[in-house]
Amino acid sequence: MGVTKEDVEAAITSALSPSHLVVTDTSGGCGASYEIEVVSEKFEGKRLLERHRMVNTALAPHMAEIHAVSIKKALTPAQAQPEPEPAADKPQA
Amino acid sequence: MARLVSTALVRGLMRSSRASSAAAMSRPAIQKFMNYSSGLGGAPNANGDLTTTRVAADPDTHQDFQPTSKSSEMSFDDIVAQDIKEHPVVIYMKGYPDAPRCGFSALAVKVLQQYGVPISARDILSDLKLKETVKAYSHWPTFPQIFIKGEFVGGSDIILSMHQKGELKELLGDIAQKGEQNGSS
Repeated sequence: MGVTKEDVEAAITSALSPSHLVVTDTSGGCGASYEIEVVSEKFEGKRLLERHRMVNTALAPHMAEIHAVSIKKALTPAQAQPEPEPAADKPQA
Repeated sequence: MARLVSTALVRGLMRSSRASSAAAMSRPAIQKFMNYSSGLGGAPNANGDLTTTRVAADPDTHQDFQPTSKSSEMSFDDIVAQDIKEHPVVIYMKGYPDAPRCGFSALAVKVLQQYGVPISARDILSDLKLKETVKAYSHWPTFPQIFIKGEFVGGSDIILSMHQKGELKELLGDIAQKGEQNGSS
């Protein structure tokens, strides 16, 4: 029931076209709680509050069924760069 | 307080009278709020004011003119507006600072308590209408919600992030001092 991880990913992808997106289901399977990391160019020049609002807006249609959303990271590509690459789990050349 | 405000609205009184009643009420309200952070009891009563007096009868007003559910909606907006105007740090949360009923609310309180500022808190679980009012006010879907100096700051993720970046210290720095002055005067 409820919202799947794929729903959340699709909603954020279509709204923010992120260059990096990790959605973690922290509900233990019922789909009511998610942790989200987003890197998107659309965050450029936006304060953290505005960035979170953008994510919230993207998820608005699903929020009724989601109990908790925790936005762990909302970064621009430039901000994401200096950190040790968060996508390290991807086997990349 | 809700009754005072809504009654004033119903009667169409001037703003000045609302302001004065608000001023008269604010001191005890602050003291109640202080109780939260100092860990004293009686927290449910402080919030109970909000819910139980909302539709109570007003002895000065004829039955026909007493607040209806419509006017109490307005008063909820007023309460939120007044909360964040009069208190430098307001958190709308699940449960109370001493007894949070949600991990995110607990986290936000814990972060705010690092700064020694007076924290004004309301439990939105105890009042669905308050919850909906706050959500509409901030255009923010989740709780807790933190307002600092009259401005919506964000939820627990944002508060934690600001804490880690040192932004919260900057924002709350002068409140810590003011809070002490208020407390002693």
